[in-house]
Amino acid sequence: MSEAQESMTTERKWPELGPCRVPAWVYTDPELFERELEKFHYGKCWNYVGLECELPKPNMYRRNFVGGRPVLMTRDAEGEIHVVENRCAHRGSPVCWAQQGEVKDLTCPYHQWTFDMAGNLQGIPFMRGAPRPNPGMPKDFDKTKHGLTKLKTHVHEGTVWASYDHDAPDFNDYVGPDIIRFLDRILAGRELRLLGYSRQLIPCNWKLYFENSRDPYHATLLHSFFTTFGIYRADARFNVTPQPGGHEYIQSFLDPSLRETRSDVTAEMKTLKEGFTLEDMSVVTPYDEFEDGIISSLQVFPSLFVQQHGNVLALRHILPKGPQSTELAWTYFGYATDDDEMKTRRLKQGNLVGPAGYVSMEDGEVLAQVQAVVSQNPATQQIVEMGGRDNIGPAQTAITETLIRAFYDFYRREMNL
Amino acid sequence: MTWTTVAKFDELPEEEGVCVVAEGRKIALFKIGDEVFAIDDTCSHAEAQLSQGFVEDCAVECPLHQACFDLRTGAALSAPATEPVNTYPAKVEAGAVLIEL
Repeated sequence: MSEAQESMTTERKWPELGPCRVPAWVYTDPELFERELEKFHYGKCWNYVGLECELPKPNMYRRNFVGGRPVLMTRDAEGEIHVVENRCAHRGSPVCWAQQGEVKDLTCPYHQWTFDMAGNLQGIPFMRGAPRPNPGMPKDFDKTKHGLTKLKTHVHEGTVWASYDHDAPDFNDYVGPDIIRFLDRILAGRELRLLGYSRQLIPCNWKLYFENSRDPYHATLLHSFFTTFGIYRADARFNVTPQPGGHEYIQSFLDPSLRETRSDVTAEMKTLKEGFTLEDMSVVTPYDEFEDGIISSLQVFPSLFVQQHGNVLALRHILPKGPQSTELAWTYFGYATDDDEMKTRRLKQGNLVGPAGYVSMEDGEVLAQVQAVVSQNPATQQIVEMGGRDNIGPAQTAITETLIRAFYDFYRREMNL
Repeated sequence: MTWTTVAKFDELPEEEGVCVVAEGRKIALFKIGDEVFAIDDTCSHAEAQLSQGFVEDCAVECPLHQACFDLRTGAALSAPATEPVNTYPAKVEAGAVLIEL
């Protein structure tokens, strides 16, 4: 670890200009990183852990993470969903080693301590001692007190959430009515179907990824694929709306006619190429399945971005792996009612996103490059002034950094910085 | 169905299991007072020998994960086992323990 990366949190002072400046040390400080995990992931927050449809049968489990800690999403014999820590109560081995499975119970390979699907300790080999009359476990050892750590679990319209804090607020109150409304726009009353996964490890701090996802400004400039095919353009109508509690949503209103149009706004953009086309334009020609012309992304702090780009329905799960390492786990889904044509359309448009996507590939690369630069000089500052230095309110344009300022306004209060 | 001699009654320990092999099957014998009970030696939940288990109230507790089985019926009495184990009729005649296979 270089000197620059050593923690100086006690001496850290946020720049005087407030949320329109971000000090580069927030991307490298290891002590700050640990405090963030404690506060955001292991505190009164709801973390995404999976989709109910990933466990189609009783007695199935799937591994995931809450912050840095390994967890299991399970479905018991009665069909109920549980989230427990994937850490044997005995000596800390992961209980389940496979990514997912169908099992009789959860048995740790190390000493075969056995837990039920809800994490209750059921059996300990040689508890009575062996061979008799060796004593085994102490007589007062209470199996009911040594189960897997249980997380508070909530299922919202097929999505599964967990909190380490059993006094966490009600999920609906936690995310707020606007986020619930836009989540339900794509989830409510739908039977979800898993389409697939992709994962990428980005050598950057998780907050750089947050900034990127809360930044429609870059999307119109960095991502030439978006602008060229009129999917996401600065001259479109936008709703860019910070929410209390670190959440946000971005909506843009799709106007296919923009594909053919230049405007005063696009004239400034070097990335807008004229006359480009694709052999198969269906990749960039969404079907307006929600009948509102909206492209939407939203964030449920601290772990999930929910994305609907045309007909791509994707969940981006943010897994902080270290101060300078972030894993991004993508889950693609559709609906049980999708016909083959719709399924193909979703998969085809899915090529826009993910680690090798026509669009998202550029995010992973630019963030890795930014991290490499800012980590070498923690005393530098980022400028976040587009749309107004102190403006942390909603905007009707993509050309704004309001969501980044709103995030750091929230972050500083939570972290006492 | 034949009765097979598998042990001598006097040599069976009290309230403990013994594993015998008859016709290629591993069978656990338990002496409770004047009676003998015979069940399959392998737990229905995991690879464990019930003859090594802890005996109480005419039930045996599997040494591996503490699933309990009724020695009379073979029924699984507690998790993690959900399936019963086989039982075999057993009797004592002239000091010999016989089971019916």
